[in-house]
Amino acid sequence: MKAIKNIIILLTILLWLTPNKGLAQRDKIDELRSTFIAKHLEFSSAESEKFWPIYNELHDKRKAIKKNLRQSLKNISPTVSDKEAEDIINLENKSAAADAELTKTYNDKLKLVIGAKKLAKLKVVEEEFKLEVLKAAKEK
Amino acid sequence: MQANIKVVLIFIGTFLLFQVEIKAQAAFDSLNLKKAKHYFKTTIFLDSYSKANQKFPKQKATKPSNDSVIDARLGSFGLKQFNVGFYTPLYTRTYYNQDSTVYSNTHYLLTGNFLSIQPQFDSINKVHTLLKYGLGFRVIQNSGKKGVWFIDIQPFTTTDITTSTPNGYFRMANSFIYSHNFSAKFNMRLGITKSFMWGNRYYLPYLGFRWGKLDGVNFSIQIPKNISLNIPINDKIRFSIFSKPQGGMYSFLNNDSLYYFRPEVKAFNFTHYEILGGIRLDFAIGKNFSGYIDAGSSTRSNITFYSTETSKKRPNVPYKVYFYERSLSPTGFLNFGLVWRFGKTKSYFNDKNMYDAFDINNVNSTGDVNSGPGNMEIPIKKSIKQSKLNLADIQDLIDITDQ
Repeated sequence: MKAIKNIIILLTILLWLTPNKGLAQRDKIDELRSTFIAKHLEFSSAESEKFWPIYNELHDKRKAIKKNLRQSLKNISPTVSDKEAEDIINLENKSAAADAELTKTYNDKLKLVIGAKKLAKLKVVEEEFKLEVLKAAKEK
Repeated sequence: MQANIKVVLIFIGTFLLFQVEIKAQAAFDSLNLKKAKHYFKTTIFLDSYSKANQKFPKQKATKPSNDSVIDARLGSFGLKQFNVGFYTPLYTRTYYNQDSTVYSNTHYLLTGNFLSIQPQFDSINKVHTLLKYGLGFRVIQNSGKKGVWFIDIQPFTTTDITTSTPNGYFRMANSFIYSHNFSAKFNMRLGITKSFMWGNRYYLPYLGFRWGKLDGVNFSIQIPKNISLNIPINDKIRFSIFSKPQGGMYSFLNNDSLYYFRPEVKAFNFTHYEILGGIRLDFAIGKNFSGYIDAGSSTRSNITFYSTETSKKRPNVPYKVYFYERSLSPTGFLNFGLVWRFGKTKSYFNDKNMYDAFDINNVNSTGDVNSGPGNMEIPIKKSIKQSKLNLADIQDLIDITDQ
């Protein structure tokens, strides 16, 4: 019984040490976004089957770009050197280029799966989602 | 000549097409970002099960039999069981079709299990501690269309550690299942499973049906594993009503002279099975930590003793000729567990094939023990109003360039 208690304590400590809190928060918004999109764009079973893996992959990549940039911006010290500043600007440019590239690549993929009309509507729904979330946050 | 030119042109065309795909990712790849490799999180779960002691039913036999002698030596039967299991992704491979619109993926998981079971016979001086442990391997293949394949190999050893007398058996439980998602609301599974949870080694057909979405209310029949009605209350609490078998086959030392007419046998097999029916409540304490509690009635409880060595000496008699067998009346049981999940995964929101892959992995729990961590990694849909958002949550939604 003592061994069991020790295992539980050890696992709980391990869990607390795992840096997942921030990740969990960002997962929350992705969950909400996917529910919102599924509700507002009526995908057929075949469309849904192909759409979500591609869309999830796109968002994972976008999230990684934003996280990387945010991390770098956070690490800037008030006494930033010229080289560091240059690196940050370069990173922002690269991130913007990567994001634009992703938009194009994944628009092509998604168009094949759900068609141009629904893809255009997806962009509208994504904007509506932003507004809804901001509205909800304001109300709280 | 013309044919050769055509081949060369096709080759160059294919090469250029491939280059376009590579170039399409060039800027992203140049950032060298850390990405999640797997869809499955490393999961560890602890499970504790117990049921109260019961007296053996009285025999109608006019003269003493083996059963009545052993009944007297055992006194009563109850059960305490503790299980630790885990699975961890070893390798995940994603395949794309030609136009990159179908993603199929294969998941290779390492599994492990350590079960300690203590049959509570109140007339035996020392409680026997029977162990069952092993490492296994499973492969889950998501076709990206309708189907998910599941292959599971679970070798394990059973041993009685009550005294230092060497004993034990090496055994293997396996499953091979195909799961077909006709739609998000209807799924059917077919396969074969070799399992010991029905009290002995059985090769059983696997037949499963599910009505309802995995992220909503659903009714699931997974024969021979379980039948359940699953009702998610919200993303923190899930409720289910279930019926499932539980049991196994363990090495048991003959140091209490239970096999009194063959004292030379050092260890024999103890088998048991029961059908559990009850309610289960799963609750999430954090994103990666959950627990569950279930309680109900244990029915059709059955225990047997038999010796493999003795069976081998009489080849013309079926091996399952028990020197002791008892069925017990229904009683209550209590089961609870804790589940930890670790690591970062790829996103799988609304991906019904991945949800199905999680479900098939959890229904077929590790180590041929029919008690799993539950489907808490499948997110339950909720509206924006229901969620508790803070500023950090919405940071990604606001761009500097937004007007």
